[in-house]
Amino acid sequence: MVDVSQHELVPEHILLDDDSEVEEVLEEYNIKKTDLPKIKRTDPALPDEAAPGDVIKIIRDSRTTDKAIVYRLVIQ
Amino acid sequence: MTEYDSITRNIEAVVEDTTLPRRLKDRVYKTIDERGGVTTEQADEIARAVQSQYEDTRVDPLDPVGTVSAQSIGEPGTQMTMNTFHYAGVAEIDVTQGLPRLIELVDARKTPDTPMMTVYLDDGYATDRERAHEVVWAIESTKILALGDVSTNVADMIVRVDLNKDTLLERWPTVGDSDVIAAEIAETIEDALGVNTRQNGTAIEFGPNEPSYRELLQLVEQLRDVVFKGIEDVTRVVIRKEQLEDDEEEFVLYTEGSAFGDVLSIEGVDATRSTCNNIHEVYKNLGVEAAREAIINETVNTLEEQGLDDVNVRHMMLVADIMTNRGEIESIGRHGISGSKDSVLARAAFEVTVNHLLSAAIHGEADDLNGVIENVIVGKPVSIGTGDVKLRMGSISTDGGQPSDD
Repeated sequence: MVDVSQHELVPEHILLDDDSEVEEVLEEYNIKKTDLPKIKRTDPALPDEAAPGDVIKIIRDSRTTDKAIVYRLVIQ
Repeated sequence: MTEYDSITRNIEAVVEDTTLPRRLKDRVYKTIDERGGVTTEQADEIARAVQSQYEDTRVDPLDPVGTVSAQSIGEPGTQMTMNTFHYAGVAEIDVTQGLPRLIELVDARKTPDTPMMTVYLDDGYATDRERAHEVVWAIESTKILALGDVSTNVADMIVRVDLNKDTLLERWPTVGDSDVIAAEIAETIEDALGVNTRQNGTAIEFGPNEPSYRELLQLVEQLRDVVFKGIEDVTRVVIRKEQLEDDEEEFVLYTEGSAFGDVLSIEGVDATRSTCNNIHEVYKNLGVEAAREAIINETVNTLEEQGLDDVNVRHMMLVADIMTNRGEIESIGRHGISGSKDSVLARAAFEVTVNHLLSAAIHGEADDLNGVIENVIVGKPVSIGTGDVKLRMGSISTDGGQPSDD
């Protein structure tokens, strides 16, 4: 099977397994978890251990800044 | 350290100290280098000026970015070609361009009009024409007419295939014996058509199980569609030598038709760079984030090809963000984003007004009047820009106390 994460179109996906980190993010943007953009549980780029309800940190190689960090909520 | 000699450690320090993005920092270095003889103080001033300009271009709170993006993509859209079906782009492969392509992208069409892939090759394959061709044969669908001649003998109810020995050896480079390849082909024919074949060297003969003139012709028809090698959806592969930055050359394949998932796992294909113009295939194989990137790349390229390269990427990024917000690709339109808005009035204002109002009435939906269109309809100030700022007149007591509400 092809290693999807190596493709240049795929940014780095990191699972936030520490709840305090998630809280920090939500506080910074003043939003609820469900307000985050979503990512499907079946997404090929998702880390294996991610389950619905987890938050994924994505580090994009941005066109407008150095690195852009975004978050997505894993859904069914 | 920077690549420029005239950039001293101090200049680098002041530039790096700004909050500018990498690309802009590099531009600053380049400009300073070109001007020459810039002191640290001057460099500091330049860096600060660039930073303040950069910060000025940020959007203000409550700015209607979506509306601005719609305008910014829509206006150049009016200047785009309505219809082009010429061999544009690369390597004589016909690709949809201009407005039709842009519409196709934002509509998130399941299959584009002209699917294509750009296939990069792994190290050993990219510079070697022979080995690059191996990959070509593994991708391009090979049908019987490319391999030899088909003749029908009506008297004996026999279809005879005379395979070309050289073609066989060329297309199956890993097998050295043309008879072995012919046997393989005969087997494929048996499986696909359900007939018994007789093989003699590179000639294959077969006929319908029951003598029937119609059956015989049908077999020939079916035989033409059988894929013997490669991927069925890829009808043509063009191989092209491309210049790399450092004077090196590599072979790149362009395909007509796409099967992204299949191609990525073919040996010799560089699965880290190869791409496909079907955003759904990218989504399926690489995930939402890659699909987002692909949408941006495709829209930017479409605009650029039409000479409309001064549209800011941020607009395309916003479109791509919205389209991938729910973890899958959604179209912009009635079936996608606009159709799933919370507000009944906003949906009704877009398309098929009566249906939306009717179903909302049946289900007893309420409208919170948060968006723009709803508020225009009911005649309230819209909740963007100054319309969202609530001001109240008050007075401040002269003894320095808190402002009061009256």
